[in-house]
Amino acid sequence: MIACAVEQSSTGELFKAISETPLPVSLIEVTTAKEGESFPLQCRHCEEPYCIDACIAGAIRKDPETGLVLSDEEKCVGCWMCVMTCPFGVIRVSLLPDKKGKIAVKCDLCQDRKIPACVEACYTGALLFGEVEDLIRAVNKSKEDRDVLLNSR
Amino acid sequence: MCYLIVGNCAAGINAVEGIRKLDTNSKITVISDENSPVYCRSLITDYVAGTRKKEDILYREKDFYEKNKVDLILGETVKGIDVSKKEVILQKGNSLSYNKLLIASGASSKPLRIKGEEKYGVFGFRTLHDAEEIIKTGEKTGKAVVFGGGLIGLKAAYALKKRGLDVLVIVKSSRLLSRTVNAEAAGILGNWFKENGISIRTGIGPQEFSGNGEIEEVLLDNGEKISVKLVIVGKGVMPNISLVKDSPVKTHWGIITDEFLQTNVEGVFAAGDVAETTDMVTGTGAVNALWTAACEQGRIAGMNMVRKDKKYPGSIGANSADFFGLPFMSVGYAGEIKEGYEELTGSNNPKEYSYKRIVLKGNRLVGFTTINKIENAGVYTALIRNKADISSIRDILPEDYFDYPKVKDLLKGKEGFRESISPQGEIIRIA
Ligand SMILES: Cc1cc2nc3c(=O)[nH]c(=O)nc-3n(C[C@H](O)[C@H](O)[C@H](O)COP(=O)(O)OP(=O)(O)OC[C@H]3O[C@@H](n4cnc5c(N)ncnc54)[C@H](O)[C@@H]3O)c2cc1C
Repeated sequence: MIACAVEQSSTGELFKAISETPLPVSLIEVTTAKEGESFPLQCRHCEEPYCIDACIAGAIRKDPETGLVLSDEEKCVGCWMCVMTCPFGVIRVSLLPDKKGKIAVKCDLCQDRKIPACVEACYTGALLFGEVEDLIRAVNKSKEDRDVLLNSR
Repeated sequence: MCYLIVGNCAAGINAVEGIRKLDTNSKITVISDENSPVYCRSLITDYVAGTRKKEDILYREKDFYEKNKVDLILGETVKGIDVSKKEVILQKGNSLSYNKLLIASGASSKPLRIKGEEKYGVFGFRTLHDAEEIIKTGEKTGKAVVFGGGLIGLKAAYALKKRGLDVLVIVKSSRLLSRTVNAEAAGILGNWFKENGISIRTGIGPQEFSGNGEIEEVLLDNGEKISVKLVIVGKGVMPNISLVKDSPVKTHWGIITDEFLQTNVEGVFAAGDVAETTDMVTGTGAVNALWTAACEQGRIAGMNMVRKDKKYPGSIGANSADFFGLPFMSVGYAGEIKEGYEELTGSNNPKEYSYKRIVLKGNRLVGFTTINKIENAGVYTALIRNKADISSIRDILPEDYFDYPKVKDLLKGKEGFRESISPQGEIIRIA
């Protein structure tokens, strides 16, 4: 997804992002479950994440306050243990800026933004962002009601 | 309540965190015969390679012990345990009492048991101390010999090559990774090592090390002699079970544990490289001596020490590594095809070092190997763990476009499948 890749880029601008080396990697992918059924695939920020157990460098940790599963990219040694164990297959491989090696990268739910870039870019409303209880209440509401409920946009 | 943990690595530290999830106050003591605060054992490879400094391979922040109210005892060896008195006996003669005990004493390098092995310059590849000695010796010589063609031997060879030494790997069996993958995959990896300047010789073993205090020469079992000052023994590991030898705690391959990771003695638990658990693929007892298993077992054992209600789903042999920029993974049973097994391969290109092979037993995925093509590999691991019936997706399994959505219905609600929602909400799909 372009919005995510741009968010991961160092310039944050589409036209500059496409000429960056390394090319920024999108951490959400819209793929298909079966023909005609598209499926956005991204990190679940699991309760008991396999990737954390697998991280031999101690780079992936769960933020005790937010519950986000975050990777300290400086610590990553690129051993791919997390890629091997993530049941959703959402951990990606990225080249390092100096091109001397690769590291594993994952979604941090855009922790520096109010709303993740992918949610903001999704105009069909297939992606929503909010607390679980609010999301459940938002199902089947009109777009306006949903936005109010989820305090988005 | 007073918890005692023997071992200060993956299993021990995750046990501390497991206990603290449920009990924030009771006393926890961690004891280890090593002298460092917890470090990433697996990263001694990167330390020897020169890509990580010693201070950069610590697993937790320096204040971990203080924050978690842990009494840390370093540099002391546990000699035995007295389960009737609920005490562990230290080498020095004194003892420590406990209410709940976790044995997370890990494993040690398996010795070759040949003459001259004690000479300086012959090292295992297991501890920070090994790494420091290897680095020191490496400075005085330009050449190293590694015995063993398993992942540890290969990691040692890779690290030393990265450091700038000439490296010769000598393997007793006819090929590399004979206990991990099939001959084809091993051949591809072997070629990659050779391309990166590492020599490999097979079908030969060491017979004797000689030298005056320090190793100077290796005599091989084919009669050949090689002069060398640095030898790494990477012949696998053996669980550190000697501390329970004179106790009622039962051992087999390792310390036998039940589904709560408790030993046969009430209140005594075991986790990590020392523990024998049920292998998810074979269904039999095994020691899957791996970081992932040690972390998961440690955490679950820790929680069960407080309140025994969390089942451990079993372990799986699963390892991955990156050698000179080439990712390699092997999970479950990935050896040669035996009766009742089948293999599926994708569009492989061994010359380009690109390879994927999936092993099936009936309608179950039981193992896979990937070289280079690693993205989405975790989905295979999930299918193995969940013993999912893959008959409906068989044809697309090895394809590059294969991913989680194609199997979501096979995995949903399965035992051991830990999908859940973060407390702060997440992006969820509302169909
Ligand atoms: C070079 C290398 C690379 C590796 N790479 C990977 C990898 O990529 N992926 C993977 O999954 N695994 C890897 N592993 C394996 C992984 O490091 C181990 O599975 C993991 O460290 C096991 O943790 P543990 O806590 O059970 O035991 P250990 O790490 O062995 O720690 C046990 C601790 O207890 C101490 N101890 C033992 N006996 C006593 C006693 N009697 N008294 C006091 N203290 C005692 C030991 O000294 C040690 O400090 C690698 C290992 C090595 C050596």
